Amino acid sequence: MLIEGSNVEIETSPVAEVEVLDQVTQPWQVMILNDPVNLMSFVTLILRRIFGYSEEKATDLMLEVHHEGSAIVWTGEREKAELYVQQLQTHQLYAVMEPID
Amino acid sequence: MELINNDDDTWTLSKVSELEHLMLSRLPESADSTGCEEAGNRLFPSPISPEADLDNEKKSSADSDWKEYIEPELRVEFMDSLKIVADDLGKAQIAKDEEANCYEFNIPTAHADHWCSALNQARIVIHYRYDLPDEDGVLDMDPNPEKWMATLQSEIYGTLMEFLIKKVLWVA
Repeated sequence: MLIEGSNVEIETSPVAEVEVLDQVTQPWQVMILNDPVNLMSFVTLILRRIFGYSEEKATDLMLEVHHEGSAIVWTGEREKAELYVQQLQTHQLYAVMEPID
Repeated sequence: MELINNDDDTWTLSKVSELEHLMLSRLPESADSTGCEEAGNRLFPSPISPEADLDNEKKSSADSDWKEYIEPELRVEFMDSLKIVADDLGKAQIAKDEEANCYEFNIPTAHADHWCSALNQARIVIHYRYDLPDEDGVLDMDPNPEKWMATLQSEIYGTLMEFLIKKVLWVA
């Protein structure tokens, strides 16, 4: 495998290459889990602020968390998912992420 | 309690009763999760979902990276908010009301997020430290006076958070 923009050639087995490619391209989802402390208005406010969601969408997601125990609030590449989880945790929301099969 | 807009990028929290003032003065220490593992785990959770389909090695690696690089940042941000709020609280003044002594103090609009952070940190720690019930607004006369006071403290913090969210931070 030749790294783009470089003359360095790294020998990898086809299986390893597929695994690395999977890790890079595999989408992740950011979820908020229900917790007994956070105020509904606070969760809605933070969802609007971080993701730029409308009040209606943020409220729907907040209610999904409240009633269903969790809600997927964003899906995309891992690096960005980590950033969103960090931002949500900065506001003490119970945010986690997981890869999508 | 009343939250009044001063039109100079500050808000005045007025008509703060002695009890409310006492509870607010406990805010910084109440947000300290030391000695309460459950609260610490909730404030600094793993970034990986408990249901994630990841092998143990990958999950463990993600957790340790998070602990090394992200958790210290979260701790600094949480601590910064607590310091700012402690400073605002230290400037509280006694204001004579018709019937009793009340307190009032200013909250700069720029500090509103720090206030929400500090109040929320304290509510989370109180909840786990005193094993409070999950339902909102439950203020039964618990036979354990410490637990009853903790519930009241958490309710007061929640009320102030609602004020700040709806009056200061909410954008239509």
